[in-house]
Amino acid sequence: MFERLILCIGTRKGLFVAESSKSRRKFELRGPFGPGVGVYSALIDTRGKPRIYASSCNPFFGMKVLLSTDLGKTFKETKSAPAFSKDDGRALANIWSLVPGDGKKDLFCGVEPAALFRSSDGGDSWEMVPGISNHEHARKWQPGAGGLCMHTIIRDGERMHLGISTGGHYLSEDGGKTFTASNKGIGAGFQPDPYPEFGQCVHKIARHDGAPGRLYMQNHGGWGQWEGPGGPRPDIGVLRSNDYGQTWYSIAKGLPSDFGFPIVVHPHDADTVYVMPLEPSTRTCPGAAPAVWRSEDGGGSWKRLARGFPKKESFFTVQRDAMDIDQLKSPALYVGTTTGQLWIGREGGEEWNCVFDSLPPIHCVKAGVV
Amino acid sequence: MIMQNSTASSASGRATTVTIFVPGLLRHCCDGASELTMPATSVRAAFEQLERRYPSLYRSVCDETGAQRRHVNIFVNAFNTRDGNGLDTALLAGDVITILPAVSGG
Repeated sequence: MFERLILCIGTRKGLFVAESSKSRRKFELRGPFGPGVGVYSALIDTRGKPRIYASSCNPFFGMKVLLSTDLGKTFKETKSAPAFSKDDGRALANIWSLVPGDGKKDLFCGVEPAALFRSSDGGDSWEMVPGISNHEHARKWQPGAGGLCMHTIIRDGERMHLGISTGGHYLSEDGGKTFTASNKGIGAGFQPDPYPEFGQCVHKIARHDGAPGRLYMQNHGGWGQWEGPGGPRPDIGVLRSNDYGQTWYSIAKGLPSDFGFPIVVHPHDADTVYVMPLEPSTRTCPGAAPAVWRSEDGGGSWKRLARGFPKKESFFTVQRDAMDIDQLKSPALYVGTTTGQLWIGREGGEEWNCVFDSLPPIHCVKAGVV
Repeated sequence: MIMQNSTASSASGRATTVTIFVPGLLRHCCDGASELTMPATSVRAAFEQLERRYPSLYRSVCDETGAQRRHVNIFVNAFNTRDGNGLDTALLAGDVITILPAVSGG
């Protein structure tokens, strides 16, 4: 079968699509699509004929959903974007996540202010999912620096995990009808109670499809030195659950910082997980030397992967959706930076090269094999 | 493009057919039209017609609560409606509503 690798690169100035053969030696870049407009989420939907969806978050004219049916050569807007009802009082401020539903044209979409929408016609119409969007906690969630966003949607049959910043982790076990805050063991650093029922600043959650009960989380860390009420909260930033998100524990030991945004799981090994530690005060790489860190034992130990990255004077941030991994036999990681560089980490991150070095600031990177 | 041939009446009883100028960035929302003509006695009334006829265009100018988007300005002739009654700005026959993205950079 002829395979092509597609990268969707959402930037502050629109969506770029990069295409390569599976050798990944050379990437052809197309775009920007939705030019001049920020793109925070994308989906390479390989169910049936491939479709690419992307959010287009226009500060002037509002939110749109872009759709391509020709592997990212052209895009058009779907007939509508998610929207709250007129009497709800909330207005859509951003689209943070797009994931497939059960049917070929079923989609889920996480938005800002944090709420969940569902489409059954490929994004032409949307309905709000009330179980979480109107949850009794919903009006108590607070925005983080990136806004009050629902950035993670992970589905596993009737089970659904949601990541909300700042709301925490919410779990449904009835197909999304009802949700429960499920944050036992997830720390919060910005309030006196270090382990509240909800309100944690979860940055990203990841999971291997073959190990649905095990979840990895990048939480808002960097509170090991806190001296105020509630005391220090070391190592709350990188967490793992073995019971479908009912309880969580730290796997941050061995990392240079427990602060970061993305977390990614190897497509063929549920024990292998990647994070990009950042200094909590600046959100840049520790020592100004970028590195991805990999654990091959489910977070028990960590190895620094930096070959090919600059060794000094690098001050970029990697945002929550700006790291992904492809599904090829020997997968490559992709890291997009706020300085507009797209890096590829071949052989599971062993060797890094800059693929594009002058894109606009990158919000999200998604890799797909079609 | 003429949306309707009928006319509304202002308080003075005169017909109030107005024109909406659509910026290039939004013309795909209204079949490529650069101007839309309709009867309306206020900006809000004009936009209610837009919402029915071209929901995507309306949603680009007003959010789902009905509020004018923060970075979109609506002029009636040369008058920025933000400096007056906003969407409740009254219209007279022949008025031109211009939709414009606000000045910004970055």
